[in-house]
Amino acid sequence: MKDLVLKNRYTLLLTVILAYVILIVVEGAITDRQPDWLLFDNSLFTLDLRDIEELSNLDFDLNADL
Amino acid sequence: MNPKFESIQFLALLRREVLEHRNLFIWAPAVLGLLIFVIDFLIVQGLDERTKIAFLEGLARFFGGGSPANMSPVFVFSTLPFLFILFMCATLYLTNSLYQDRRELSILFWQSMPVSNLKTVLSKVVAITVIAPVFYCAVIFALYVIAILWLIVSGLSYDIEVAGLGYMFLSAVLSVPVVYLFALTSALWLFPYMGWLLLFSAFAGRTPLLWAIGSLALILFLEGFLFDTQFLSNWIETRSDIDNFLIVEYGGLFARLFSYEMFIGLVVGGLLTTGAVFMRRFID
Repeated sequence: MKDLVLKNRYTLLLTVILAYVILIVVEGAITDRQPDWLLFDNSLFTLDLRDIEELSNLDFDLNADL
Repeated sequence: MNPKFESIQFLALLRREVLEHRNLFIWAPAVLGLLIFVIDFLIVQGLDERTKIAFLEGLARFFGGGSPANMSPVFVFSTLPFLFILFMCATLYLTNSLYQDRRELSILFWQSMPVSNLKTVLSKVVAITVIAPVFYCAVIFALYVIAILWLIVSGLSYDIEVAGLGYMFLSAVLSVPVVYLFALTSALWLFPYMGWLLLFSAFAGRTPLLWAIGSLALILFLEGFLFDTQFLSNWIETRSDIDNFLIVEYGGLFARLFSYEMFIGLVVGGLLTTGAVFMRRFID
């Protein structure tokens, strides 16, 4: 096995990437990792921009008479 | 081997990294610091006398009497250009360092010496994680000293009460260790990114950055195309979200350092760095 992995640079690269992908997928499946780009949570402030999605539910009647 | 010899050898490797990459470690922050100072100087010189006095009085009043520890986060935000340049320099450094050794064939010299591949790769990781931020913080500190001395001299020449500027100086000084710890914890948080770049720096025959970006794009595409999942993109999004490693005061430090997310990042980074160490045995 060791000889196969260290046979040349390509087999080594493939093995490392495979191990990396398996680790990330298994960890992601166990922890149910979700991206949190829109959630800012630090010691100064907390801002959840995902709430902005609620704005899309607002109904604006642009044809209403002024 | 003698531990004292080992530590001296490792220090010599770190010194080599700094000397060979002076442009990224020392000159990049120095030039940025000079640029920021010149721009600020020109802006303030462009103000008329009354606005200058109001500006100095405003600064002295804002910082006067306040707790320097509470005001130091203001200065952490002002160092973000330095941290951005550090990130760019780190990317260039990690992409080219192992690749350059092979291109110049200096890898043959280093492998003839009693220096293991593990030590060589570790010296590069430690150099960019621990040593590089020291130079950046030194430049930031020098910039603060020069700027505040200049403000104090200006204040005295306009006969303004400058005691508040002393508090400003204390706040600035207190922010420097926070900036260093921010850079350090950011590097640890981004250890998988560092490991990925090192792996391709040790692998690629040419254009290692292109290999690193292209391979990542290919894996992301294959995951979505073949399995219709997004574990990898979720992972990358979480890692690259600056909010996950932004620190502006000491309080946030331990929560970031001793967390599961930091631990799993170190494991993944360790895996990729180990790959880079083994990759060093293949020389073109």
